[in-house]
Amino acid sequence: MIQKKICMIGASGVGKTSLVAKFVHSMFSDKYLTTVGVKIDKKTISVDGTEMMLMIWDLAGDDDYQKLQTSYLRGTSGYLLVADGTRLVTLDQIIEIQERVAAAVGPVPFLLALNKADLTTQWEVTEARQADLAARGWKTLQTSAKEGASVEEAFVELGRALARPA
Amino acid sequence: MASSGSPATAVLEALGFALFLRDESGALTLHGAAPAWLAALWPGLTTTLPVTEASPFLENFLIDAEECWTKGGAARAQSGAWIEQTADGAEVSLEATALTIDGQPALLLEKLGDVFEAKKAMLQHARETVMAYQRLNAETQKKEILLSCIAEEMNSALANAITALRLIEMEKHSARAQQLLALAMRATEDQQALINKVLDVFASELADLYGRHGDAVAESSFDEVLAQAVESVAPALAEKRVQRRGPNKIKTRVAIGEEQLARVLVNLLENALQNSTPGGEILIRAVAEAETVLFEVLDRGAIMPPNAGTNFFSKDVIAMDETTAGQLRLQFCLIAVEKCQGEFGSEPGEEGGNRFWVRLPKVKSASRK
Repeated sequence: MIQKKICMIGASGVGKTSLVAKFVHSMFSDKYLTTVGVKIDKKTISVDGTEMMLMIWDLAGDDDYQKLQTSYLRGTSGYLLVADGTRLVTLDQIIEIQERVAAAVGPVPFLLALNKADLTTQWEVTEARQADLAARGWKTLQTSAKEGASVEEAFVELGRALARPA
Repeated sequence: MASSGSPATAVLEALGFALFLRDESGALTLHGAAPAWLAALWPGLTTTLPVTEASPFLENFLIDAEECWTKGGAARAQSGAWIEQTADGAEVSLEATALTIDGQPALLLEKLGDVFEAKKAMLQHARETVMAYQRLNAETQKKEILLSCIAEEMNSALANAITALRLIEMEKHSARAQQLLALAMRATEDQQALINKVLDVFASELADLYGRHGDAVAESSFDEVLAQAVESVAPALAEKRVQRRGPNKIKTRVAIGEEQLARVLVNLLENALQNSTPGGEILIRAVAEAETVLFEVLDRGAIMPPNAGTNFFSKDVIAMDETTAGQLRLQFCLIAVEKCQGEFGSEPGEEGGNRFWVRLPKVKSASRK
């Protein structure tokens, strides 16, 4: 079976751990519990009929208190960027973080999950902003770890990108 | 080197550390007894740590460890915290350290305890605070925009009212009706001017929000703008029979846009006029200081609370309906003056009444137009 390492990357509190919990264990909790360090989970997905084992590295949120350690990115085949759609600032942060990640791992596939899509009344990311991301060549999905919307799709889509020949 | 059964090994065991020594074949062999947490995590582990199967995290860290062991001596590499899960789902936080002991590569695994949990709790609290701040900030901005929309709506309604009044004015009316009409017109125009000022503040705030700092290099001729401001309030002073003393002339340029300066000066003069009783007096004074200009207006009215205008948005002040318009004028002064790095204040006058003042930075000669 093909095995691929992917990393969950984003500012703190955007829902990286919640997305992994929903995808791997079908669980969700409203309570915010900060991740300190790294947690690795595995899940097998089917990409166009081929089984792929995703080794998901859930990295601590990048902020003033903890910076992303690029040594954790070593050997990653791709990464899932996560921003909180109800906090526009996290989108600005992820753009800056992605530059650092790309410098460390090179041009590997990635996808942006705009998380917390269930909080529609608090949503701050405009369509214009998403169009701007698309113009940069970023594939974006609106996800909800709470309701499960597009969570599976985000990981499978990334897996599909990993399966494509470079 | 710590040998099995030595005091050093006993210390490591007591602290719950697991020490692995790397032999020439590259195998990591457990030195001393296995701590309980190690057995819970990797039950099959006897003496050798099968890194690849045991932990992808450790496998990745061994690359950094190899680098450290190659350097030898006092070189050290730390993995940072990571989480492993026992068979029954319990999470264990660990940290690995690579070091060299008597020339032999060693890997120390530590189960993170109370200190780590305390650090984690602090990080949790700090991050929650940051998120709460971000939410509050976003909420405040939304409210500001909402207020701006309300002010726009009011402005539009007032414009209609003014047009209607002007049309009525063209018709024939009794002297009393003409008088009332003029009063209504004036009140409406005053309200509109006030709303326009509020909208200007919002526009300025939004410009800051979006990083447009076009006013950063603004400047104006203080004496010219002051003369215009005094002229504009002269009819209102005359109407209320308030005497004016000053201002004295000082010829200098100040680092604030002309329009902003005019509003600040007019607002202070109108404020003094509002505080004055009919037949009273106001004193206008300007003092050229080394790097600033001090402008002050003294009235003989009832003494206002110290630093009026600086707490406009507090609940207590909002509740005072009859002075809200005046407070808004002062709030504008505060915002405009602070924007140009100036100061604004008020206190009771030495001979009664109030003294409102602003201190504005002079334009530095290098940037003089």
